[in-house]
Amino acid sequence: MKTLPRPPRLPERIFRWYSSGAQVEDLLGDLEEIYQQHLTRMPVRKARRLYWRNALVLLFSYAVKRRKQHAAHHPLSSNAYPFMMLKSYFTIAVRSLAQQRFFTILNVAGLAIGMSISLLFIALLTYVSGYDTFHVRRDRIYRVTTQVLDGDNNRTYASAPAPLAEMLQHECAAAGTIVRIQNRLASNARYKENEVPLAGYFADPTFLQVFTFPLLKGNPATALLKPNSLLITEKAAHKLFRDEDPLGKIITLKEYGDFEITGVLKDHPKNSHMQFEVITSYETLLAWQRAHPQATDAWQEFRGSYIYFLLADHAPATDVEAYFQKATPSIYTQPDKFQAAFHLQALNDIVPGSEHANEIGPEWGYASLYIFGALCLLILLPACFNYTNLSISRALKRAKEIGLRKAMGGQRAQIFQQFITETVLITLLALIGAFGLFLLMRQEFLSMLVSSDALELNADLPTILCFLIFATSVGFVAGIFPAAYFSRLNPVQALRNTIPHGAWGSMWIRKCLMVFQFALSLGFIMSVAIVLKQYRSALTFDFGFDKANIVDVNLQGVDPQRFRNEFSKLSAVQTISLSSNVLGTSYPEETWVKQPDQIDSTQVFAMSIDQHYLGNLGLTLLAGENFGEAPGEQAHHILVNEEFLRVFKLGTATGAVGKTLILPGQGMVSIRGVVKDFYYLLLTERVQSFFFRYSMQDVSYANLKIASNDIFQTFTDMESTWKQLGTDAPFEARFFEDEIEDSYVGYFSMVKICSALGILAISISCLGLLGMVVYATENRTKEVGVRKIMGASTAQLVVLLSKSYFRLLAVAIMIAVPITYLLFDKVFLRIQYYHIDIGVAEIVISIVLLLLLGLVTTLSQTWRAARANPADTVRHE
Amino acid sequence: MKGYLGEFEELVLLTIAALQEGAYGVGIKEDIEQRTDRDISIGALHATITRLEEKGFIESWLGDPTLERGGRRKRFFRLTAEGKVALHHVKALRDELWRISKVNLALPK
Repeated sequence: MKTLPRPPRLPERIFRWYSSGAQVEDLLGDLEEIYQQHLTRMPVRKARRLYWRNALVLLFSYAVKRRKQHAAHHPLSSNAYPFMMLKSYFTIAVRSLAQQRFFTILNVAGLAIGMSISLLFIALLTYVSGYDTFHVRRDRIYRVTTQVLDGDNNRTYASAPAPLAEMLQHECAAAGTIVRIQNRLASNARYKENEVPLAGYFADPTFLQVFTFPLLKGNPATALLKPNSLLITEKAAHKLFRDEDPLGKIITLKEYGDFEITGVLKDHPKNSHMQFEVITSYETLLAWQRAHPQATDAWQEFRGSYIYFLLADHAPATDVEAYFQKATPSIYTQPDKFQAAFHLQALNDIVPGSEHANEIGPEWGYASLYIFGALCLLILLPACFNYTNLSISRALKRAKEIGLRKAMGGQRAQIFQQFITETVLITLLALIGAFGLFLLMRQEFLSMLVSSDALELNADLPTILCFLIFATSVGFVAGIFPAAYFSRLNPVQALRNTIPHGAWGSMWIRKCLMVFQFALSLGFIMSVAIVLKQYRSALTFDFGFDKANIVDVNLQGVDPQRFRNEFSKLSAVQTISLSSNVLGTSYPEETWVKQPDQIDSTQVFAMSIDQHYLGNLGLTLLAGENFGEAPGEQAHHILVNEEFLRVFKLGTATGAVGKTLILPGQGMVSIRGVVKDFYYLLLTERVQSFFFRYSMQDVSYANLKIASNDIFQTFTDMESTWKQLGTDAPFEARFFEDEIEDSYVGYFSMVKICSALGILAISISCLGLLGMVVYATENRTKEVGVRKIMGASTAQLVVLLSKSYFRLLAVAIMIAVPITYLLFDKVFLRIQYYHIDIGVAEIVISIVLLLLLGLVTTLSQTWRAARANPADTVRHE
Repeated sequence: MKGYLGEFEELVLLTIAALQEGAYGVGIKEDIEQRTDRDISIGALHATITRLEEKGFIESWLGDPTLERGGRRKRFFRLTAEGKVALHHVKALRDELWRISKVNLALPK
């Protein structure tokens, strides 16, 4: 009987854990006795199984429940009056925060900085989640999306072929009320002398039934029935009509003719995924299409065409999906040609939603929200780490307090709750600071976003509520480790002030956190340096053409010849050339070129110019000659770039001159000259085959070479000359250099974002470092005093106190430099085809900056500690 | 009278009385199992014992550590005066019902 096999351990452990302190010794004894009896009658395996079963049955029986309750009602238990304790926690937290002012200020500042950007994110999130909620029947409104199945990327478009709407109307009853929308309505509207650019949609009359866009004036039943009837929003109406009543007025849209205003729409809320100023009837579009027939297949080319519908009552959306499944094969009958599939998207899923091509209005894709969220975390987490770090470094200071509390009967859970309360209080204080920063950053942040027109970051009640919830949860996250650490302290050790220093591995974790923070900061500093360099290099890049002193004028339909005649009279204008595009800022026309002896065409870029263009922009001819003065034969000549020769295997530059090619719509052309490669696209793209053709019909820009000492006067002169040309359009001219600069503005916002994040990250890291240094030196005051008495110099002491931090900084540098380098070298810079490699200079400057900040922070404290009079410090305590 | 005494509760109370000073968890369980020829779950037994103790019909104390139970102590149970009163009430009720029964409850021999 002495050495009986013991029952399995695990159920016993579970039992003890679950009973949490209740008296269960006799129950476990009973279980073991039954087990021993079973062993005499059955195999061990079965006995063990029965032990498990009995343990579980007993565990959930009334006996254990009752004993637990009994244990919980012990006089020392905390469950009796939770709210009374909360008040006490609060009082104690306020007192202890007031007592350690330095710690409080440091943490409130750090958390405020860390939380500020998250507040932006939360405000954005709450605003975006409120998108389109004003539609009364939003739960039953759907949009048809089109997934183009071309095998490569299978992009999903928010748009859908318009003929599909007719099919739905006739063949699918579940689709209910259908609206076709076309968003290509953008035109200059004229009323009397007033001309205003307006944009909006062509839409079916059902538009007003399905969506909640109320009419202030006009009859919603008839407003969109007839062709050339137009609804206008209040705001646009005010721009066009001033104070007149718009209803019934006739206005002229440049491309589409005269329109009658049949209704005035209430301005739609900003958080609508549809943004418009005018709505005209779909009939207008149909009439226009009849007048301007186009060869494209509406089933394949459907950009800008949208189908929405209000689901029929009691019909499930799956009916429509099923209809699509059934109908698609009859639409795209040739399996090897264009293929597409149609899907449904609920209105509630549009913003925020998954990303679609060809969106009708502002979009907020999940991907961009995720990236933004991740960046917020990257800033917020170090701030939380700081708090954790600093709290634990104060362990020595607070150990006595905790020991006393425990000795007086304070339970672990109570100590835990007290520390959590303290943390939450700090984060709520930090929220005030973060809110101030939020208000400061809001405008700048909005200006950096593309879809900022459809975005507001208001601090309304729900948003504030979210802020409060957020701050409280940050408090929990930041406070959970210190609270757990302090509540575990052994009261005897704590009262004797003999806490094991490496308890809970805290030193190790703190070092890691520190390294992580500084690595992050260095990463941001480096990003700013690298992106700034790319931006500068893009601006000073040798594009292969001159961009200085060239003004591009948008011709806006003015006859180029008349323009040239008038403008060449101006003394400041040296030469004038004409072109269809502005080089280096936008995509030129794409076309297909074929060699006479080959079957397949190759895609190339093309631009139309005149004979002065090459000279004006300083492009170099390698062989052959420029377009001549005689206009007749020019149509059959082109100028190609070097890449063109390589792609078409035309041999050397001189050899290629005179060779013939076939252009679509133009027939045979011969190569008249070869131009040295130049960068006609953004630097993100590779230079591909390209040719110039001579065409006066396609030019829309005039490039003026200006030599003037008084630019302002020159522009005034040009503007008055422009007026003489008899056009109503305003004079649009810009310096070529500015246009190039504008096309790289993306870099500039990246610099801004990186710098902002960098400043936040560095401030947080330095605050954290400061806190750590302060407490560590404070704990070593006596040691420093003794060393000083023994003859250590101030410099030696500073080195002694600071060197461990610099070791951490060194580790951070070793981690951050390669990661940032690889990230930029392998990922970000690959986006730009022609990029500058990351130089040693950027890395060194970044490191020096980081070290400098670390040095200032550390030395500010260690220097003071090392210079202190040992007579004072040794007496300490 | 405090609370209603269920059939199983009555059985447990009487068994504790029968076992006298030696009444503890597994002992009671075995005794009932032997007499009634039915399997009792240890969970159900302890739940009932807890209820009886709550009602004040029994009292318990911990014994000395024992060898065969991994050194754990047994919890012994004993009837209280209230427990005895409760048993009497039940028995009186039963007796009265037997007595006033209009059907002859005697079994045929």
